[in-house]
Amino acid sequence: MTTPAVYARNLGKSLGSKTILRDICVEVTPGSVVGIIGKNGAGKTTLLDVLLGFSPPSTGGSQLFGADSFQLPANVKSRIGFVPQQDELVNSMTGRQHLALTAALSGRWNHALITRLRQAWEVPMDRIAQQLSGGERQKLSTLLALGHEPDLLVLDEPVAALDPVSRRQFLQQLLEIASDSRRTVLFSTHIVSDLERVADQIWIVRAGQLAWAGALDDLKESVVRLHISARQPLPLALPLAGVLSLRTADQRATAVVSHWDADVLPQLCKALNADIDVEPLGLEDLFVEFHA
Amino acid sequence: MDNSLRLFTLQPSSGVPIYRQLMDQVRRMVASGQLAPGTELPSVRDIAAEYTVNPTTISKAYSLLEGEGLLQRNRGKPMTIAEPAPKSGSLARRLKQVEPQVEALVLAARQLELDADELCRFIARKLGEHP
Repeated sequence: MTTPAVYARNLGKSLGSKTILRDICVEVTPGSVVGIIGKNGAGKTTLLDVLLGFSPPSTGGSQLFGADSFQLPANVKSRIGFVPQQDELVNSMTGRQHLALTAALSGRWNHALITRLRQAWEVPMDRIAQQLSGGERQKLSTLLALGHEPDLLVLDEPVAALDPVSRRQFLQQLLEIASDSRRTVLFSTHIVSDLERVADQIWIVRAGQLAWAGALDDLKESVVRLHISARQPLPLALPLAGVLSLRTADQRATAVVSHWDADVLPQLCKALNADIDVEPLGLEDLFVEFHA
Repeated sequence: MDNSLRLFTLQPSSGVPIYRQLMDQVRRMVASGQLAPGTELPSVRDIAAEYTVNPTTISKAYSLLEGEGLLQRNRGKPMTIAEPAPKSGSLARRLKQVEPQVEALVLAARQLELDADELCRFIARKLGEHP
C-alpha cells in the first residue's frame, strides 16, 4: 500500500456557530489529478486550507503523505506546492526577484523547467508585481509553486484570470506533472470543461459536504438522465434508486439517477412497460443536477 | 506516427467518458478495416498531450481493448492492432457485444412501428451488402 498523498476522516470545520465543512472523508492516491467544484461559498477554499494545515479542523483530521496536516514536519512541507486564490506577491518586487528569492529559500529548484515555462507562458521578468496583469500575476505565482517540483501541487482557482490559450498551456503543464505517478495535483475551478480534460478524480463540494468524490469516468457512467415513455400512465413511485431529480407527466417521466447500472435497463423497461432512453450527462449538467 | 495523432475525435465535455469514446472508435476503425492488424497506435502519453486529456482514461481504454483481444501490448514498443482471433469468442459473447446497438435499433424500430419481419429482412440485406 502506498501512503495516500491526501487523507481525511470526518473532517469538519466550524467558525462560531456556523458549520463550514462537515464529514469530509477522502483518500487521494499519488498520481491523481483531483478537480474540485462547488458553488460560491460551498467551502472549497476552506477545505483546501484545512487539508493543508493552514487552519485547524474542528472535528476529525487529515494527513498529507501520512503526516498530520496541522503539524507538518519540514520534510513534508517541502514536498508541497500551493497557489492561493489571492496571490501573495510582493508588489515592489519584479518577477525575476520573486523567482530568485523562492529558489534561494527552497532546498531544490529546477531552473531549466522554470526558464522554459516563464518563456512559454510569457511572464514578464523585469516588471514589478504591481504592474502585472491579473493573469500575469497568476502565472508568476504558479511558477513559484512549481520550481521545487512538489509531489503535491494544490491550486485554488488557478485559471480564473487566464485567457483560453494560457489556460490550455497551463493544463498541459498539469498533465505533464500528472504523467509522473508519484505526483499529485488538487485544484479547484469553476471551469468545468478544464476539469473534464485533466482531472481523473472529481470532488463536488455542496454546502460544506462532498456530494461526490470519485473517478470522473465513474461519475459520468453512474449519473444519467432517463427518459421514460410508457404505454400506460406511470405509477407514482418509480422503482428507481438514487433519484436526484424526477419529473413525471402521465405516461412520461424524466429522472436523473445517481447509481445507474446499465444491466438493469431491460428489467426496468419490462417492469414499467416502457421505452427508456439513457442520456449520459456532461460534467456541467451533472453539477447542476447535484444542485437541483 | 504524426498523422495518426489526430486519429480520434475525443470530446471531453461529452457525457460519455473519454475512455469509452476511444474504445468505440478503435472498435469501429478495426471493424471497418481502417486500422489493420499490426498498425501501431499512438502512446498514452502522446494522446494525452495532443488532446490535453488525463492519461489515466486513455490507458484504461487501451487496457480494456487489450483485454478484449483487440490490441496487443508490445514490450518497449507502441501498442498494435492485434491479429483477429479466429471467430473471437462464443456466439453468446459475440451477440452480447452488439447488444447495445440492437437495443438502440429496437427502440427506434418500435417508435417507427416497424415489425420484426420487415426489420430482419432489412438487416439481412445489409449484412449481404458487406461480405
